[in-house]
Amino acid sequence: MTPFELLEPQTLPEALALLSDDDAGIRPIGGGTALMLMMKAAVLAPTRLVSLRGLQGTLGSIAMTADGALHLGGLASLSALEHSALVAQHAPVITRAMTHLSNVRVRNVATVGGALAHADPHMDLPPVLAALDARVQIAGPLGTRELTIDELISGYYETALKRNEIITGVQIPASAGRAAGRCAAYLKCTTRAADDWPALGVAVSFLYSNRTISDARVVIGAATDRPTRARAAEALLSQSMGDATTLQKAGDALAAEVQFTTDAQGSAAYKRQLARVHLGRAVNAALAQT
Amino acid sequence: MDAKVIKEEQIGRSVPRMEGAAKVTGRAEYIHNIRLPGVLHGKMFRSRIAHGRIVSIDTSAARAVAGVHSVVTGEDIQRLIAEPYYGPAFHDQPVLALHKVRYVGEPVAVVLATDPHVAEYAAGLITAQYEELPAVFNEVEAATSPIHVHDELKPAITFPDLKHLKGKRGTNIALDYKLRRGDVEAQFASAAHVFEHEFHTQHIMHTPFEPFVALAEPMDDSITIHTSTQMPAYVRLEIARLLGWPENKVKVRTAWLGGGFGAKVYVKIEPMVVALALLARRPVKMSLTMEEQFYVIGKHATTFRIKSAVTADGRISARKCEVFWNGGAYADIGPRVSQKSGFTSTGPYRIEHAQIDSAEIYTNLPPAGAFRGFGIPQLVWAYESHTDIIARALNIDPLEFRRRNILREGDEHPTGTAMRDAEFEEVLVRISARMGWDQPFDRGTGTKRRGRGIAIGVKASIAPTTSFALVNVSADGSAVLFCNTIDMGQGSNTSMAQLVAQVLGTSSERVRVTQADTDVTPFDMGTLGSRSMFHMGHAVRLAAEHAREQLEALCAETGIEYQDEHSIAQAFRKKFGMQAGNIFGVGHYTSRYQPADHDTGMSKEITPFWMIGGTGIELEVDTETGHVTILRMVNVVDAGRAVNPRVVDTQISGAALMQMGATLSEEMVFNEGELTNPSLAFYKIPGMRDMPVAIENEALEAETRSGPFGAKGVGESGTFGVSPAIANAIDDAIGVRLYSLPLTPEAIYRGICAARGEPLVD
Repeated sequence: MTPFELLEPQTLPEALALLSDDDAGIRPIGGGTALMLMMKAAVLAPTRLVSLRGLQGTLGSIAMTADGALHLGGLASLSALEHSALVAQHAPVITRAMTHLSNVRVRNVATVGGALAHADPHMDLPPVLAALDARVQIAGPLGTRELTIDELISGYYETALKRNEIITGVQIPASAGRAAGRCAAYLKCTTRAADDWPALGVAVSFLYSNRTISDARVVIGAATDRPTRARAAEALLSQSMGDATTLQKAGDALAAEVQFTTDAQGSAAYKRQLARVHLGRAVNAALAQT
Repeated sequence: MDAKVIKEEQIGRSVPRMEGAAKVTGRAEYIHNIRLPGVLHGKMFRSRIAHGRIVSIDTSAARAVAGVHSVVTGEDIQRLIAEPYYGPAFHDQPVLALHKVRYVGEPVAVVLATDPHVAEYAAGLITAQYEELPAVFNEVEAATSPIHVHDELKPAITFPDLKHLKGKRGTNIALDYKLRRGDVEAQFASAAHVFEHEFHTQHIMHTPFEPFVALAEPMDDSITIHTSTQMPAYVRLEIARLLGWPENKVKVRTAWLGGGFGAKVYVKIEPMVVALALLARRPVKMSLTMEEQFYVIGKHATTFRIKSAVTADGRISARKCEVFWNGGAYADIGPRVSQKSGFTSTGPYRIEHAQIDSAEIYTNLPPAGAFRGFGIPQLVWAYESHTDIIARALNIDPLEFRRRNILREGDEHPTGTAMRDAEFEEVLVRISARMGWDQPFDRGTGTKRRGRGIAIGVKASIAPTTSFALVNVSADGSAVLFCNTIDMGQGSNTSMAQLVAQVLGTSSERVRVTQADTDVTPFDMGTLGSRSMFHMGHAVRLAAEHAREQLEALCAETGIEYQDEHSIAQAFRKKFGMQAGNIFGVGHYTSRYQPADHDTGMSKEITPFWMIGGTGIELEVDTETGHVTILRMVNVVDAGRAVNPRVVDTQISGAALMQMGATLSEEMVFNEGELTNPSLAFYKIPGMRDMPVAIENEALEAETRSGPFGAKGVGESGTFGVSPAIANAIDDAIGVRLYSLPLTPEAIYRGICAARGEPLVD
């Protein structure tokens, strides 16, 4: 790893001022769990790192907003999410997903904003947040803006973030909350060891009343180059009872509509099969929460 | 020995590990933690091509970096050592690449700097020009390929059976072990059944959590090497040979090892740090990263073609084995693996007609060498999968088929050595009893199918080898054992202390074991191949007995009855008038061995003892994804008498779980010789959540009459049966037979699809 300058601003304006849209050598760093590995592997050799740790006090909170949305601070650690009573109440799917996300050492320092900005398709949080219709809040030198996960993550390790922008928070709307009757589940499937980057992540969420599914959202991660909605599968699930025949049809639709990628975790053909099977398993896991 | 003076039996006692507290509290010393004033850190520049002639190396940019002390290439090393080639079997490996590079990742140059980050940065600025040569990677192809990794074979004189390869050109075959017994072809022509299969294993890495680290410290007229090695005495010999120095000017010391598993045998980075330190005239330290370990040493990938003739009543009458060992670019100890394990290729079965061809083959991949099991797991994988296929094809219960053919006491192994103290059948009996093999078995329903499988393997000990030990008894009756057996996590210090205490009639806790330091600890061949408890165990026993004889004489002279350490202390005080003096007991042991005949591979005494391990597996397969859950793993070994039952138990499970990783997930993936997954993020060893639901281990109540107190080695036996037992259980569950490791979910799912005639289309 080559030497670099480390800056530790204490406020958001200070941090933004230290970043630059023009200089690829200047990078913000949250928990650093991904960045440091890339630097050790010499994939990345930044000249200046702007640590966001000092902003954890202001941007690390987890709270309910006035309109009933769940706000996750951009600097909130993943273990803060894991242990938050608010998260467990409003979006228990996140709590469950955290227990098998990497390991406790990573969760203790990795941040919500980092998990989104890194845009490695194998990460667990983006598909979960996408299935919960989350909005990502971004601050830059010209002010703030808000994007969906779909808008934010534009490709394989690619985002719509500018180099001088910071993710300040994520909001999960009231309509996606447990109180609104939304069920959700996230299943991940590893193929080499239990603690591994997944070959597939499937996040589902839907409303469930009168034994009928509606407004289903299905988001595939890891097996694709970015978190990907499966709209044909969603359409089949919505207005169904989530019965075995529907789940099979929805799995087939998902397998047909999503572009799977081959990587070290498995071939595209195998991931397609994993996705076909795991959609039904995820829906059943979500139904089991009702 | 006089039994009445022993207060408590030390043999068979689960004495707590002596270093346990120091390790868990972070106080144990490791070589990584050594800080020396004036030290230079070395970082390597490695080849990015698999095979080529070095045209030029441009180090100018690296030299210009502020803080760089020097940049060293192979030609610089030659200023110090004219023939800078090392290796236990062949003198084939240059300290730094000379003239040619032979694999991606081979060290080409080293930058020295006081700051390791500066050295690393500067190493990244080095460039090299090569004249690229065609490369060969597959072991079967390389056996006959016109592409040759080495122009000429240069066997080391230490291995008499490699003499005939001296100066040989135009080949990649670094050892060709042959066994010829009876007439296999005649049997194949007339047998009721003939079965033939080909099996494959993959390259894997040892993954010690302490990567290679060594520090060379030039002294006035000698050199001290602090290194994480399993073989301090060999390191001293080889460094002395390279430098042309007497052995006593080279001091090699170790601290605790954070795992070895065969990776840290013979010499690895020691010649490099020594040469660098002598060139720089300053201490030099090299600490490899986890990623760099992949380019040092691994486990042989293999192709094993096996053919058996079976009689109408289910007896194996002939077996032909053709084993190709992918040794990578440098032989290391690979030729020993392909011979010492190769001669067991027919398995633990009584087979009258046997033929083995076991060849060590050079390829343009990172070197392969010793790896927990020393080649045996690759062989057992093939012959026990093959055995199960035969049993199923003949509709004979797999356990019954094995028992019908298993070697029994006094039977002749195909090499001609008679079986002694080798409890093969009892291992099978205990596995099957624990598994309830004769009871109905829940085979699962729907998409969750269950199956079970067993497998058993045999290993010979490396022979002949020698161990020396020295016991120093102080005037208060406490003792220090000086021995070169390296405790790399297996608990040998505790077990060796128990042997001393047993003989002296003291408690194990009153015996301390030193870390290896070749200035004071006597010679030992090395800590590998499960040889230490047998060989060093004998040497320690003899040294302690020698000490005891002298102590008894001292007691007799002073009129004190020899009872325990208190009486020893009394005798010393009486003799010397105060608490003063020492008693030194020395002992050494060389195992008996008769070399195999070059043409027939036969010997009446091919090994001083046999190691036996078997595994039973119950598992569940998810037929929609190919995922396997191991519900139960039963490991049974014949380890002779267990000196420390708890240590033995953890050795069994440690070995078995390591092999489970080699079976299910671990694989070094190469693309045209380039390793695509050199990191723990992409090379997956099992974690806690991959453990079997239930695991149980058993060391038979056995005795090795030729061993110290009836004991023998146990470090590897747990590995033998794991891979084929899992494959056999998968076949039992879903009727899918797999011939290549690792057994990944995708491989299993593809097998399921193929079996139903709908192969998975990419």
